[in-house]
Amino acid sequence: MVKIVIDEDACVGCGSCVEDCPNDVYEMDEAKNKTKVVKVEDCMACLSCHEICPAQAMEHQDIHVAKRLYIDRSVKDAINKII
Amino acid sequence: MNGEIEEIRGTFKPELIPAETGGNIDDYEEALHVLMKFVGSMSSALEQVSGRGANAIVYQAGKRMGHEAGKLMEKTDDLEKAMGELSEILGQEFYFEMWKPSDQDSYTVEKGNETEVKLLFMDCVVRQTLRRTGLPQKGPLCYLLYGYMVGAVEEVMDIRGKLDIDHVGPNACLKTLTINWSGK
Repeated sequence: MVKIVIDEDACVGCGSCVEDCPNDVYEMDEAKNKTKVVKVEDCMACLSCHEICPAQAMEHQDIHVAKRLYIDRSVKDAINKII
Repeated sequence: MNGEIEEIRGTFKPELIPAETGGNIDDYEEALHVLMKFVGSMSSALEQVSGRGANAIVYQAGKRMGHEAGKLMEKTDDLEKAMGELSEILGQEFYFEMWKPSDQDSYTVEKGNETEVKLLFMDCVVRQTLRRTGLPQKGPLCYLLYGYMVGAVEEVMDIRGKLDIDHVGPNACLKTLTINWSGK
């Protein structure tokens, strides 16, 4: 079962995830001005919400992570040197 | 690899069937990256030249491939069995499962002469290619898989089908397969 953890300290309350989710998994908590998970059972782990979230405020646990077939190792090595 | 190109020298006879592939894993990786860039650029250029017609061209190409692949599979009228066979055809590169929202009892929805089933594509080479080359999803390359799927399902079930892309995401894409039982 998918578990979604929202970092409320990081969430900026932009509502992008609420708009982007095709299955209405999220809703805005108007009192807190933060997003909240309301239908986790309908999450298909497409991770569109991750991509659109400007604050990287969410984490999906226990999901199928798509196989990463194309990792550019030379780019990865270059980035690792910078980081 | 230290950047030097290692030359392989030997005797070539056209009648000899190679017993094994040459090169090492780095060569394959490099070849895969180049191929992927080619495919991505081709898809992008096709869209630029043909506009929305690009989707139809690629869809037809995919459909033809799907029909060819479907010929190798056992014919069936059972949708779930057909999905199992399709899963074998598509292999690990396109790992998918049937999906339904929590308030829906069955994976299939009957609508008159049609049956709808939602498919969640989790692993997809096309998605990886598009994202690797910085191209948007839902473009012509997605229609290749769309056509492939439809072609294979038409061949296996001897019906008419269509696949609509409901949603695309970085980790999974949701598609609706509609089967028209009135046949071809």
